[in-house]
Amino acid sequence: MSNVTLYSISYDLSHAVVFAVGSLAYGSWRAAIDSNAVVTTIAVLVFAVILLAASMLNTIVLIWYERKLLGRFMDRRGAMHVGYAGLLQNFADGLKLFRKHTFAPREADDLGFYFGPTAYMVSSMLIFGILPISSGWNSGALPLSLLLALVIFSFAPLFIFVSAWSSNNKYSLMGGMRSAAQMIAYEVPLLLAVVAVVLVAGSFDLSTIVYEQQNYWFWGPLVVALVVFVAAMLAEMERIPFDLPEAEAELVEGWNTEYGGMLFAFFMLADYLRALVGSILVVLLFLGGWTLPTWVPSAATSFPLAGIFWFMVKTYIVFGLFVWVRASLPRVRTDQLLRVGWNRMIPLALLSVFLAALLVSARCLPVFGCVPSLGG
Amino acid sequence: MSDIWINMGPQHPMTHGLWNLRVRIEGELIRDVDPEVGYLHRGIEKISEDRHYNEVVTLMDRTCYVAGLSWEHLYMLAAEQALHIDPPERAQYLRVLCDEFQRIGSHIMWYAAFVQDIGLMSPFLYGMRDRDLVLDLFQSYTGARMTYEYMRVGGVRNDLPPGFTHQARKVLDWLTDRFHEYDQLCLGSTIFHKRCDNLGVLSGKDAIAYGVTGPMLRSAGVKRDLRKDRPYAVYDRLEFDVAVADGADVTGRYLVRMEELRQSVRILRQVLDWLDHHPGPVLADRVPRWLGAPYAPVGQEGYLLKRRFPTGVGFSSVEEPHGEAQAYVVNQGGEHPYRVKFRSPVYSNVSAARQYLVGYHVADIPPIMGSVDVCVGEVDR
Repeated sequence: MSNVTLYSISYDLSHAVVFAVGSLAYGSWRAAIDSNAVVTTIAVLVFAVILLAASMLNTIVLIWYERKLLGRFMDRRGAMHVGYAGLLQNFADGLKLFRKHTFAPREADDLGFYFGPTAYMVSSMLIFGILPISSGWNSGALPLSLLLALVIFSFAPLFIFVSAWSSNNKYSLMGGMRSAAQMIAYEVPLLLAVVAVVLVAGSFDLSTIVYEQQNYWFWGPLVVALVVFVAAMLAEMERIPFDLPEAEAELVEGWNTEYGGMLFAFFMLADYLRALVGSILVVLLFLGGWTLPTWVPSAATSFPLAGIFWFMVKTYIVFGLFVWVRASLPRVRTDQLLRVGWNRMIPLALLSVFLAALLVSARCLPVFGCVPSLGG
Repeated sequence: MSDIWINMGPQHPMTHGLWNLRVRIEGELIRDVDPEVGYLHRGIEKISEDRHYNEVVTLMDRTCYVAGLSWEHLYMLAAEQALHIDPPERAQYLRVLCDEFQRIGSHIMWYAAFVQDIGLMSPFLYGMRDRDLVLDLFQSYTGARMTYEYMRVGGVRNDLPPGFTHQARKVLDWLTDRFHEYDQLCLGSTIFHKRCDNLGVLSGKDAIAYGVTGPMLRSAGVKRDLRKDRPYAVYDRLEFDVAVADGADVTGRYLVRMEELRQSVRILRQVLDWLDHHPGPVLADRVPRWLGAPYAPVGQEGYLLKRRFPTGVGFSSVEEPHGEAQAYVVNQGGEHPYRVKFRSPVYSNVSAARQYLVGYHVADIPPIMGSVDVCVGEVDR
């Protein structure tokens, strides 16, 4: 795999800029400017900005991707008019929302009304600072990065509920209630499925989990956990068939009924950010992250940023499956959803933990060979 | 959450039109409902009193936007009875052709809206796509896709264009395959059954007590179809079965409508065969000339006013896609009908909302009301 990573690019960029600025200064100033600390600080900032821009851009492309894919499933074309094949349609939509006046209902609680979407958006973007996208991704190198990502991911029901209740609208309140109940119910199987992965990988660090999948991907041995994780993720992302909090047929638009303009755009964007995070987590935990199977010729992984490329390909395929589900399934009802969550998902998740524990105690996986980290 | 009243409507995605369903909910449970209609009242019955007999046709198209031709037929049956005019045989077959194609269009439209209500996105567009073929056929012989103004007192406006029956048969073949696809998409899905089975149950006894008709009544196992029970036009010469189901629930209504689509195709094939081999006039000879003119010819106004026509009363009932529609036309000898009165099936079906909504969940309202197939233009008239 190539040594060029996104961080090394931003480090080189920062170094070049700092060196150029430093060469204009004298003596001790030059040393201060040209020091490693300054270069690293700026490199991290550049990296963060690249990450922010990339995640936003990715989200917008993701929306385009979903629209086109949904269009194909529905025997139509999707967005076609703005830009080539409608690529710029979402930018036009975003611009339209940006220009709109933001209304708040007179009886709404202003603090919660504005705080909710903002916090929802910010917390969703925060996760991107943690997720490793390719090898040598230092920003995510925390020993408990998986746990941190899931903790931030589970902030969302609170913010949704705050914005729903402060909208002072009956539909919003019902949507918020549903959303909170649903997310809490599916948080448990989600975490249990993750526990299965953690047991086999032996680490909460996402980079380590991916490293452990060098020889085989986890979706094979942990297929039960994968099923539980994907189903729970669908519920967490509030997509059909679990999109009851914003079931437009009965709740108009659910918890974001009263939102318009940029605040609505925040919700929309954060929803897709969360969908992106969900797909990324599936890829990281079960589909080997940025690695490819060993039988793939090395030419496929030797070009610059190959890791990121293959990672994005996998992410988009996973998200495409979510879109496929959306195009072909009806919506379930709240009580049915909760019943499935508590009565089926949690036992299934426990089963997956049990199976993972069995695999670990056997030290070897029957079909997939021995686990290096478990051997000694 | 204690009891709260919420207004679902007049602007709400569930209503598919302009009406208001007031719902008292306790948490997610429905405790009471109160349908409010009348937001779309245009006074069609009163306006009809001020129009020539043929001009009422335009109003009939606007009564129900998905079943305009069925309402035209309904009105024409009553008006012809009141005016003592008999349409020629070919015109009657053409009217049945209109009726059944309209039923297909309406039921496909219902399917599209209904699956959208339970959250199925793709079949909505499949439905709209296939309905377009029916609209294309309408366009080819009535000139319009929605407001047709095709029927006249004493027959229909014009005959079919050449090659129509061939085209229509091709559309029917295509649609037959699609109906199979629709069933796979809905009945093949476990979530669909979880959502729709035993939902919105309205027993046959209650349905009759509330005057509920159409697919809602037949889904309760009551075998009542005006095309069989009180045949109008040429329905007594055509072979078809009355679609019934026994669930009295949302799935039952789905099954009834799907079966009706297939029976309509069966009827249409017979009608097309007949039309191929029996050319003839499509408008009666003895229609008074002024009936065709929007206004009395210049210089003849006095003649029209003085002239006396035989008086009469007409009553008709038609199995419209939504249920049994009835019309009553009083002719007192003038240019205009003296009084016109319609009975809308959906009005009765919606009135019984309390019977089939209370006790279910809020999330059940869209599928249940969707299965009623509300057409507000026809409720409010």
